[in-house]
Amino acid sequence: MTEILQQIINGIAIGGVYVLIALGLTIVFGILGIAHFAHGSVSMFGGYLTFFLVAQQGYPLILAILVALVVGMVLGVLIELLAYRPVRNANHINAFIVALGLTMMVEGINLQFFGAEQVVIPTDAGRVFSIGGVTLPELRLYVILAAAALILAMTIFVEKTKTGQAIRAVAENRDAAILMGINVQMIPLIVFAISTALGVAAGVMVGSLFAIAPGVGEGLVVKGFAVLILGGLGSIPGAVVGGIVLGVTEALAAGFISSAYKDVIAFVVMIAVLLLRPQGLMGRA
Amino acid sequence: MPRKQIFLLIALAAFIALPQLISVKYYLHLSILALIWVIMAQGQNLIQGYTGYVSIVQAGFMGIGAYSTALMGSHFGLPVTLTIILAPLVTAVFALATGYPSLRVKGHCFAIVTLAFNMVIFIVLLNFTALTNGEAGITGIPKPGYGRGAWIDFHDRQVYYYFVLIVAVAMTALAALIVRSRIGQILLAIRQNEDLVASVGVASWKYKLFAFVVSAMFAGLAGALYAHYQSFINPEIFSVAQSLDAILAVIIGGSGTLTGPVIGAFIVVFLPEYLRFADSFRLILYGLILVLATIFMPRGIVGLARDIASRLGAR
Amino acid sequence: MKIRALLGCSAATLMLVGGAHAAEKTLTIGVADALTGGAAVYGLPQANSVEMAADEINAAGGIAVGDDTYMLDVIVYDDKANPTEATNAVRKLIDRDGVRYILGFCCSGATGAVASFIEYEDAVMLVGNAAERSITTQGISNLVRTRPPADYTGAAAGAFVAKQGHKRIAVLGALETSFYASYVEAFEEEFKKSGGEVIAHEVFASKDRDMSPQLTKIREMQPDALLVVGYVEPAAFAYRQATELGMDVPRYGFTSGSEEQFLRVASSEQMEGVWDLRPTELTLQSTTDAGLAYHANYSERFGDAPSPSSPYAYDQAWALKHAIEAAGSVEDTEAVAAALRELEVFPEAVMQYLPVEGKMFDQNGQAYTANGAFQWQEGHWVFVEELPSDQEAYSRFLSTVN
Repeated sequence: MTEILQQIINGIAIGGVYVLIALGLTIVFGILGIAHFAHGSVSMFGGYLTFFLVAQQGYPLILAILVALVVGMVLGVLIELLAYRPVRNANHINAFIVALGLTMMVEGINLQFFGAEQVVIPTDAGRVFSIGGVTLPELRLYVILAAAALILAMTIFVEKTKTGQAIRAVAENRDAAILMGINVQMIPLIVFAISTALGVAAGVMVGSLFAIAPGVGEGLVVKGFAVLILGGLGSIPGAVVGGIVLGVTEALAAGFISSAYKDVIAFVVMIAVLLLRPQGLMGRA
Repeated sequence: MPRKQIFLLIALAAFIALPQLISVKYYLHLSILALIWVIMAQGQNLIQGYTGYVSIVQAGFMGIGAYSTALMGSHFGLPVTLTIILAPLVTAVFALATGYPSLRVKGHCFAIVTLAFNMVIFIVLLNFTALTNGEAGITGIPKPGYGRGAWIDFHDRQVYYYFVLIVAVAMTALAALIVRSRIGQILLAIRQNEDLVASVGVASWKYKLFAFVVSAMFAGLAGALYAHYQSFINPEIFSVAQSLDAILAVIIGGSGTLTGPVIGAFIVVFLPEYLRFADSFRLILYGLILVLATIFMPRGIVGLARDIASRLGAR
Repeated sequence: MKIRALLGCSAATLMLVGGAHAAEKTLTIGVADALTGGAAVYGLPQANSVEMAADEINAAGGIAVGDDTYMLDVIVYDDKANPTEATNAVRKLIDRDGVRYILGFCCSGATGAVASFIEYEDAVMLVGNAAERSITTQGISNLVRTRPPADYTGAAAGAFVAKQGHKRIAVLGALETSFYASYVEAFEEEFKKSGGEVIAHEVFASKDRDMSPQLTKIREMQPDALLVVGYVEPAAFAYRQATELGMDVPRYGFTSGSEEQFLRVASSEQMEGVWDLRPTELTLQSTTDAGLAYHANYSERFGDAPSPSSPYAYDQAWALKHAIEAAGSVEDTEAVAAALRELEVFPEAVMQYLPVEGKMFDQNGQAYTANGAFQWQEGHWVFVEELPSDQEAYSRFLSTVN
């Protein structure tokens, strides 16, 4: 029993990271129809930047994260303006190829500026809590709490604010939104800024809990899309449920079936959902 | 169209003469790799260029072709020529199994699902060591023919060049046949407007699956030729990065054309040679080329050449 | 990184042009190694150390063959540890640059690809850090390797751990990488001889950084000790997460990571007591005068301490010099390859080779170093003792493997 509980705890921390990545992807996909493949690499850029500010410039961690969030939002806006907007009206596959190109570019930039060696963002959180044989490192607890807070903030923003309502209106019906006087040129920029900020937060979590290295971002973005397919495309509750499900599935698969094939098992679950419930766990039929 | 035929003949003559014009054998080696990539890219073009579905699993299928030809040879003692022919068929079986669930989603999500399959293939090649020997790979994969010093010796790179050239030309011709057939017309229609195709009562999923499986067979064949040429394979070369190269080849060359993948394949193989000076910037440069080409040159080099030609013709 | 390699090249060339005498000729040698990507941690220091060795050989008068003296010139190509790139790099060295002697080779996949065709080339291949056993079991007469295969070390490690009195040990490692798997296999065989048992073989992939699911499973099985086998980047996380999960069993490993690499991930307290059972590579406590000089020169020239495995490549260059002089020819690669196998361990060698029948390389072209047990004590790797290694017996065994 302790073993299962421990595995679920293990899975929830990484699941929280998946949720943040997936939330960023799902709002972009739901509103703009773009599979923003470069999201993982951009998120890692945020993590790298935080590392650089903390470890090499001596910034306090919180300040470094804030700077990285702002830089990330600007980067997100630029990506939308310079790369995705020019192909908005072209065949949909063009946007995806632009996304692949962006991924290569950002990965290359990360490599150029931050090197090939793995980096770990230093933190002071080194304590470990233990309850009845189930252990939880302090840092993992913070990651889970921070992810929960961000999910809550995001939900409130989309449901309660005026901008959030405008975003939802565009997602539901673009033409009607234009008629209602919503500035549809601004919406994609706001969406990309929010999406990238969530991604940077995830990048910081990965960088402090684990490590950032070349290829980590690409691995994460694939997991993020797996969450989307699991939970339902464009669905915010779907991203939350899907992310936790994927994280826990991986931990249980590694713990009870096979550590070598844990990713394969996670993808098999995704394919099974695709076959049995193509709209995803939380999607509308 | 006689002008087109003249162009084809000139191109063919150039490919036949190429080994005689190359003084440094290293470039012959790269040309063989490029011809193998022509087969890859023609396959990618069928699903990406003609059907409008970006598949990111071609390198995985290339790996299945490469491993199946090598393993059939070493486990069952089958002759090389036979295993090269069987390899695409084995690949087709895997493509059927992956294509069916993947094609339940459209557009971008299809791309992601195929990418997940490439990762699965990669993980299995790496971990199923009893069969694949894992990261250390398979060494000593034999060449076709009758060994060293035979009348036609496939260890001679010129011989292998012509062998791959014949296969590449045949596969390009096959791609041309498919594209010009009724099936090809339906694939093009799916790219233009899938809902419309479905509304006139055509079971578009069958055609999409066909394009997916055939493109996988092209990749499987390319993998088999690669395995016997290099005599060594390991999972590294069949990762997602190579699948992205296949996409790059089609986009740069010109998607939805038959000449495009040929040009694209040579660019993908030779460009890194000329970008060595910018080694660490290579990834950034590649990405930039891909983004700029998609925005400003969506029909690739071939499309650009046609535009220029028609403008000159109009004058 | 690349620029530094290029500068090194041109500096060497300038020196040659400046001080050239009539009887001086140039011998160009090649290096194929990972200069970029994840494996650059191993490949780049190797490439650097070949450049450094070449300059030292030139400064000491070059290579004397008959009446001629050859000065070395080094061309370095990046193979990214990728098999296709490595094939391209070596093809280019042989076909275009006319190189006959190729050094470097940090990583098994890329090395295996080149080894599969080098037999038929008029060239000699010297392999460094790549530990995959099959590289020296194929009877390739123009190939030698300075690093011992991983299972040679694994057997010694198994005997050592058994001696500590453990009976049930759990393995966590990069077992999809075959040289790590072969280390564990040989470890297990020796460990079983004294009644021990390996109760778990858990795997992590090279990109995994969260090993807590695997460790949780292992924790439930209550082993006497843990063996972590893999590249340093993930292995450091395995050690850290084991303490986070409250496991307090002895931890052994085969990772060859530096102190800085571990401290980036885990605190010194989390690392305290961890053993590393590996070839006795370059460590300042256990090395000879040649090793101390190597460390000082490398640090001065490249502004960075040399990686522990980099001398495998440095020793290649000196072995080549001695073999060419013994063969009396630079053109006759067969004679040079044969001379390599007749070579005795030379004074410039940095690694501490254990000769087989008096020779540095055995008849398979394989060299052997001593193996050592290192322990993390208060922030540092401390050399504790030599592992019981039997290179003569292993060499006989290697000849039977195909």
